[in-house]
Amino acid sequence: MKRKRDRLEVIYDILKIIRHYNNSIKPTPLLRYSNLSSQSFSEYLSELLEKGFIKEIIDEKGRKFFTLTDKGFKYLEKYKLIIGFIDEFEL
Amino acid sequence: MPPFHIIDPTRLVVELAYTLIVVFLCFTIYYKTKDIFDLTKHEGIKYFRKTFLFFGLAYISRFIFFLILLMAITFDVFYMGHIFGIFPLVFIGYFSTIGILSLTYSVLWKKLHINHTFSKHIFLLFNIIAVLISGIAFFSRSPFILILAQAVLLILTSIIIARCILSNSRKTSRLYILYVLFFLFWIVNLFALGSRRFLPFEIQIVFQIISIVVIGIIYYKVAKWT
Repeated sequence: MKRKRDRLEVIYDILKIIRHYNNSIKPTPLLRYSNLSSQSFSEYLSELLEKGFIKEIIDEKGRKFFTLTDKGFKYLEKYKLIIGFIDEFEL
Repeated sequence: MPPFHIIDPTRLVVELAYTLIVVFLCFTIYYKTKDIFDLTKHEGIKYFRKTFLFFGLAYISRFIFFLILLMAITFDVFYMGHIFGIFPLVFIGYFSTIGILSLTYSVLWKKLHINHTFSKHIFLLFNIIAVLISGIAFFSRSPFILILAQAVLLILTSIIIARCILSNSRKTSRLYILYVLFFLFWIVNLFALGSRRFLPFEIQIVFQIISIVVIGIIYYKVAKWT
């Protein structure tokens, strides 16, 4: 059985997916690849937008995309260190 | 009966150097973890940082109290120590209690399964306990009552941490020993606040060196990941 991902890991996975798709992905494929229920996905998306990890872009045809901000890239870069630190001090 | 302190430059320099090193390590730990906290808003990291911020402030208050005490005894102005010494003593009680509770909470919060609403008020609860303990210091005007209150708190928190995190994992056990030593040396440090010298100067220096090593190890572990 697959273990339940914790909050930080889910955020990492979502950001990683966006980066993988050339830093521009529509909401529907992002929901599909993130392996979350639509309710959880909405909650995480709101959190990521609110905290400035991602931003919403609407193109000239009115299509919505998500892209990473500098903070989002920084999170991806530091994720291993964050997990290492949490693990080191049992936080 | 142990002798009174007298101002001696060596003692003062040792105390000052010790305080500067410990405060520097505590504040650097707080500063170095800012980035990962800003990125995650992780509850454990938040309280881990608070621990070192408040212990840094507690060590500064401890040095101020020590200075006032030495001056009061040396210049034979006991009323000065009685009036001005009470403020740093209250701050020592307040800051260190918040520090102890924050470190305990940082390792326990996941196991306690506290709901989000209650976790928002946990710091308020810590403040109430800290105000109670500093109130004891204020009304008793004695560092020894404060030592006693903190010792009880430390024993309780150490037992709670042991019950919750101790497992067969060697890494967890090492971390637990580190935290217990950190708490223990804080208590030993408080003994220097008495008007009489309970520990010989040389032994106190040895304790202070070991205490710096303990905080240094925590600093090293932090620096590895930040």
